[in-house]
Amino acid sequence: MVVVSASAEAPGARRAPVTAAQLHLTRRRFWNRAVWAGCVLALALVVTPVVWIVAGILAKALPHWHWGTLTTTSTANGGGLLNAVVGTFVIVGGVAVIGGAIGICGGIHLAEYTAEGKGGILRGASEVLSGVPSIVMGYVGYLALVVGLFKWGFSLAAALVVLSILVIPYITKSTEVAIRNVPTAYREGAEALGMRSGYALRKVVLRPALPGIATGVIVAMAIALGETAPLLYTAEWSNTLPKAQLTHSPVGYLTYPVYQVVNTTQPSVVQWAYSAALLLIVLVILLIVVARVIVSRTQRHAPERQHAAR
Amino acid sequence: MSTRRLPSALERTAGRAGRLRAGAVLSALAATALLLGACSSSSSTSSSSSTTGAATLQSLQSWPTSSVSLQETGSSLLYPLFNLWTAYTQKQWPNVQISTASTGSGTGISQAAASTVAIGASDAYLSTAQTTQYPGLLNVPLAISAQQVNYNVPGLTGHLKLDGKTLSAIYQGTITNWNDPAIAALNPGVTLPNLKIVTIHRSDSSGDTFLFTSFLSATDPTGWGKTGGIGYGTTVAWPPVAGAVAAQGNGGMVTACAANPGCVAYIGVSYIDQATAKGLGYAALENKSGNFELPTTDAVAAEAAGFATKTPANGAVSMIYGSDPNGYPIVNYEYAILQTSQPNSTTAQAVKAFLAWALDPSGGNSPAYLDQVHFVALPSTVTQISVDLLAKLH
Amino acid sequence: MTRTIVGTGGRGDSPLPPVLDADETDEPESAPAFIESDRFGALAPEAPRPEELPPGSAASSAVFGPGGPRGPGGPEGPGGEGGPAVPAGEGARRGAWWRAERLMPRVMHGVAFIPLVALAFIVVALLIKALPAIRVNGFKFFTTSVWNQGNFYAPLTSTHGVPHPPGADYGALDLIVGTVESSFIALALAIPIGVGTALIVVEKLPQRLSNGVGFFLEVLAGIPSVIFGLWGYLTFGPWLSHHLAPIANRIPDVPVLRFFRGPTGGGQGLLTTSLILTLMILPILAATTRDLLRQVPRPTVEGAVALGMTDSESMRTVTLRWIRSGVIGASVLGLGRALGETMAVAMVSGVILGRTAPTIWSSMNTIAAAIVTQLDAAFTDASGFAVRTLAELAIVLFAITLVANIGARMLVRKVSGTALPVGRGV
Repeated sequence: MVVVSASAEAPGARRAPVTAAQLHLTRRRFWNRAVWAGCVLALALVVTPVVWIVAGILAKALPHWHWGTLTTTSTANGGGLLNAVVGTFVIVGGVAVIGGAIGICGGIHLAEYTAEGKGGILRGASEVLSGVPSIVMGYVGYLALVVGLFKWGFSLAAALVVLSILVIPYITKSTEVAIRNVPTAYREGAEALGMRSGYALRKVVLRPALPGIATGVIVAMAIALGETAPLLYTAEWSNTLPKAQLTHSPVGYLTYPVYQVVNTTQPSVVQWAYSAALLLIVLVILLIVVARVIVSRTQRHAPERQHAAR
Repeated sequence: MSTRRLPSALERTAGRAGRLRAGAVLSALAATALLLGACSSSSSTSSSSSTTGAATLQSLQSWPTSSVSLQETGSSLLYPLFNLWTAYTQKQWPNVQISTASTGSGTGISQAAASTVAIGASDAYLSTAQTTQYPGLLNVPLAISAQQVNYNVPGLTGHLKLDGKTLSAIYQGTITNWNDPAIAALNPGVTLPNLKIVTIHRSDSSGDTFLFTSFLSATDPTGWGKTGGIGYGTTVAWPPVAGAVAAQGNGGMVTACAANPGCVAYIGVSYIDQATAKGLGYAALENKSGNFELPTTDAVAAEAAGFATKTPANGAVSMIYGSDPNGYPIVNYEYAILQTSQPNSTTAQAVKAFLAWALDPSGGNSPAYLDQVHFVALPSTVTQISVDLLAKLH
Repeated sequence: MTRTIVGTGGRGDSPLPPVLDADETDEPESAPAFIESDRFGALAPEAPRPEELPPGSAASSAVFGPGGPRGPGGPEGPGGEGGPAVPAGEGARRGAWWRAERLMPRVMHGVAFIPLVALAFIVVALLIKALPAIRVNGFKFFTTSVWNQGNFYAPLTSTHGVPHPPGADYGALDLIVGTVESSFIALALAIPIGVGTALIVVEKLPQRLSNGVGFFLEVLAGIPSVIFGLWGYLTFGPWLSHHLAPIANRIPDVPVLRFFRGPTGGGQGLLTTSLILTLMILPILAATTRDLLRQVPRPTVEGAVALGMTDSESMRTVTLRWIRSGVIGASVLGLGRALGETMAVAMVSGVILGRTAPTIWSSMNTIAAAIVTQLDAAFTDASGFAVRTLAELAIVLFAITLVANIGARMLVRKVSGTALPVGRGV
């Protein structure tokens, strides 16, 4: 596993004059160090912006933070973020449920009922759909759901539909992969025991695939958390808590205050935007940590399961 | 007609007093039936006018008792004032929740047209095409506002004098430097620095763009305003000028101008304090009579006074470059864009009550609110126009 | 989730990985074939078969699997045996159709087709909306830079039977150029930085530090686009314009370098936009390259070292060649993401319409940012023509990202088909 740093002379060195070979070697060593220095620079260029962004938000949001932000709703000049937090939770939760249900069905369909690599139109559609920019989906959603065909107005329903369609390809993909990774031995055992296919699917195949599926859903939740453009045109914004009606009732969400920063000069609004950014970062890191925990726990249990299967 | 349906008990009421009483009940019933038949709304009868049928400021201000949630969106120029208004009304009438947003006049018009918001705010009145496409759409004047031209030229004291033709040349890229002879000619005795002009315009669909380009069209009719030229509107095709910057919302304009030395920007008067706080100056603009005026409340009121009688019944009139010798040339009505037919009668009642309060000189149109944003109250003739327009809501 | 919330392609604001066809991975048969047939095969560590990969990591590397791991042992690698297709009809013959075992699979299959229906709906809706505008705007939509909604305050006219305000004229060349140039600059910067990071992480850093860097990459991928916009608008843009202004002003006024000189303004422009896009696509490239590097077969690299090559030489001749197609695939997917990026660009590009950026400091615009900022303005056009033009723009953007994604698949196949790993048959 260790790559030994080349300090030996090149094979042809014995025949070449010593000085030239030494020069050649020095130049090669120089380039070697230069390349590694470049790689270190690259690493710095990756880590620095992350630290800058997160530290910047913490530095600007924390000094003025007060817990009232989480218990009061927004006003015209900033205010609290309770409505945005609740709205985000409702939207992300809704997307996880709706998008999750549809995506998992799609993944199961692709994994169990189509051969690897085939599955043609459904797989192709899923892939193309994942490449559609979110603003295009938001635009079509606005035209079709908000003011057009369905005339739902700015609503939670429109937001959930558009965002679910956005994340379904990711959930489908991770479900399919997770299911395909379940060892054939499991399925063969289930068949040997005479289980019907649906029962086998539920009891034997899906269980070990659950962590992968869960990770996919978490990834979808992270996407929904960070989206703005489609929400601007489907849920718009509301300064009050989401009402229990799916249509004709706009909803707030955490990314909207952050966007308002370009629109304003008032320090209270800028502060409001930073507080929302802080909450967003916290939620994203939370989701990352949860997913890592899921993966590490299954890796811990995996060796035992595999030994048992074999 | 209702007499035939009267219960016999009333007919049997004995005596003249009884007949008089019967007559009173009859006419009241008739009036109520007529009114109920006329109005399709079934809200509390106090929302309708008195028996004469004419709406007044007071009669419109009957707030619903049930919980209503209204959305407002649109003009960033009206936004600060709208927030002052809603701050008060939500304390007085907490069951009427009003959410505001500053998205630009164009959004105000389009969202109101699509009925996705109850009140759209706009500095620009509706075009004929828009009223044809959306026959139920109204523009209701709420207050009188103005627009100033800010600039970021360090070292200047006082107010630069500028006129429409110079501004038109600047925004077309023919004048590129602050020490250009054209600007110097307007400002004798002022040392202008050698500083490149950075023009800033709105990136969103903006009533401020409408006002500014109307001004440029009016003052430069053979250039900016010629047929087929750049013209005026909430969005225009800005000529490509080197170094031009686009900003979103009046707030974005202030920030961008402060960040770009040499900038010139058109900003609404409700942001004049923020602009000055960031070190931006504002210009004295030349009006039709040749006088250079600053956007003071007096100059704005003088300009508007000239249009008080010229405002048509639908409220749409341009007050740009008027003829008053002391008037400031960029003055406008702030409009609420409304659909005549609201989703339900309670919403209509709430909208009418709120906007009537806003129009009331002892309510929203009082100096207590307007002075904070440097607006001017509507003249009473125009207030009546607005009241009549509001009364159409149902 | 070591590799999941990382990288994405072709999607606007999502931090997430592209969904790739499983058959992406049946391309470099060369790789596994190499392992099995070469004379070093005996020394090669046995490629872990898919079923032996811990479910967690398999799921994660696959969710993210961009051009598909080149080497063996990828979950979709050779011998990728998905479950045997369990015959759907097996349980179906028993019982009536409403019984769970017959109904559930049918419901499931039906639900699985929702994405297809949605995609068809999106395409059809956009086409229906855009066709009249396509007819009126014609070819000059792609060759001119103008955004004139026309005079709303004059009566509507019509061309080819389509009503529009007089003077309406649309040309999206500046948008297309802005989109492509900012994305390509971002890609040109992200590839070396991403590959360099991955090399350090895999080769030099101890396990804990490399996990830490992985965490940073995931956070970078997960940061919402508006936060990048916030940072770019308030912090990074002004910092760039302030600190680079002295350099920018000293650049000589000669033809090519003229692009880099000029007033740096408030920080909103092409440079800031490109740098922020670089940050957004870095995680895709860095994490993909890291995963690919982990699958480069050790014996090959060790062989190069045994020949006396320095690290950088063995990287250049062996490792990078091995991962080349994967990196290309990941880059094109990163390109896809950059092309569709909306909110951050809307906040830092200055969203100016009607001209391409003359210098790297000037404001510019991209298709996605133009759609999001002009949508409300378009609705003020009572004739609906502006809305139709925006739909046409959306189709153009859709087509560009589609080409990028399809290009990724084809490039990967093409490159891997001709590139032979060093040592094959030697």
